[in-house]
Amino acid sequence: MKKKPISDDRLNRIIKYLAIALLFLAVLFMAVQFSSVWSWIIDAIKAVIVPVGLAYLSALIMFPLIKYLEKKGIGPRGLSLAIVFLLSVGIIFALFYFVTPFVVSEITDFFNDEFPKILDYLTGDLRDDFIFGTDAYDRLFEYLEESDLINNWLNATLPNLLNQLGSFLFPLLTAIAILPILLIYYLLDYEMLSDRLRSIIPQKQEKAVAELGSRLNQTVGAYLRGQILLMLAIGTVATIVYKLIGLKYYFVFGVLVGITNIIPYFGTILAALPPTIYTFIIGGTPGPLLVLGVNVVLQFIEGNIFQPIIMAHQLQMHPLVIITSILFFGSLFGALGVIFASPIAASIRVIWQFFREQRQAANMTPITGGDASP
Amino acid sequence: MMPANKGKIFSQYEIITIMFYFTMVLLHPIILVITYLFDIASVVDVLKFSFWLMIGILSLTLVGGVLLLTQKDRLKRRVKPAYRNEYITLLFLSAFGLLGFAVLYDYLGGNRQYIANVLTAILALMVYVLIVLGRKYFKFDYMRQK
Repeated sequence: MKKKPISDDRLNRIIKYLAIALLFLAVLFMAVQFSSVWSWIIDAIKAVIVPVGLAYLSALIMFPLIKYLEKKGIGPRGLSLAIVFLLSVGIIFALFYFVTPFVVSEITDFFNDEFPKILDYLTGDLRDDFIFGTDAYDRLFEYLEESDLINNWLNATLPNLLNQLGSFLFPLLTAIAILPILLIYYLLDYEMLSDRLRSIIPQKQEKAVAELGSRLNQTVGAYLRGQILLMLAIGTVATIVYKLIGLKYYFVFGVLVGITNIIPYFGTILAALPPTIYTFIIGGTPGPLLVLGVNVVLQFIEGNIFQPIIMAHQLQMHPLVIITSILFFGSLFGALGVIFASPIAASIRVIWQFFREQRQAANMTPITGGDASP
Repeated sequence: MMPANKGKIFSQYEIITIMFYFTMVLLHPIILVITYLFDIASVVDVLKFSFWLMIGILSLTLVGGVLLLTQKDRLKRRVKPAYRNEYITLLFLSAFGLLGFAVLYDYLGGNRQYIANVLTAILALMVYVLIVLGRKYFKFDYMRQK
């Protein structure tokens, strides 16, 4: 059978894509050659992006409240902004003021009372309970002592960890310090800034880009608002249930459930492990099975009742997609990548859907100007 | 036979009335939950606090009920096809109210061993009430959600 020859149009397209790929590789090669300059520029961009990004995300939460107040006749913008801003600051301050003493006292108690018991268990009782027998435990312990494995690992990891923590914490603290000022100006001129941004887009694409921006804002905003609500609710409920079942350090463990709830799927495991291990080692009531059961029930209710209703269909994605995006963005951006993996994946889906719709709309548009009559 | 009001859309008056009385019923346990969290029992006598709280809530219910009646005509004119956000609020109130009943049981000296049983019984009742309210009044059928 004779093979159909490639049409000129197709050949042109292939050459165009090849040229783009080659150009991209060339740019990448050049970028690698000047990596020191790039890292300098990227650091500068990072320093700007973190506070601006935080301001943008905070604005997504606060702006609907300002709009609501304005709709109710509480204005001008300065007044509604002042009310929302003072309210937010008040809530954050109250949270820290009331919650911090509990958390600090529980952590202090833990290190004073329970930590020596846990160390005793690891060096004493664990030997008798060791699943592979006491001989295996002794050999393992001997090997660990002889090879100095733990010390070497700690010596290699700790400085690196502290360094990474410093490089993560310092920009974050700086960003938090300038966040209120940025946020005030951003919220004060929210519409004007949006218009300015729109004005730099070519007129032909302005409508489409504005539509895409609005959809992205809606998706990320819905995620953030829903997630904060869920974190607060699940954290509070976990704290109360832990206290009801008589778990010591219920406040720290409950706060941990709330905080880790931001990480889909993995957060559940991260939150359930410490109280379960703690009750397993210390013994008494409640038992580790009950603590684990409470966590499973809480996560079941949160994941199957509250999350689908609050997040609606805006972030409904297959669990595999979410897990893959957590692994991918986590390795790219670290802790922030893990936290924001779901909204980033949802945003990519929104962009993909938007362009698909645009393409479909373009294909469906009837050709005008021609004579349709036979 | 189809229920008479299956397709009926209720006005904001009915919805706000349901939400108001639902909140008033659960307000006592909800406040108790917050006090429980911060160990208020070590500072004040919980039973006395609970008694005064109940009186406060009863007066609030009376005042709120009268206010609702005065706003009846205005609220009757407002209609929405579904009351999703209001239903979510109801869900959250129920979650904390449910825990509040367990806390109340604990404060009243109930055996802690049976807290799970108490919670399960109230949970079953609350889920039933919520599903019925959602279907009938809020036009939000949770069981049909994908």
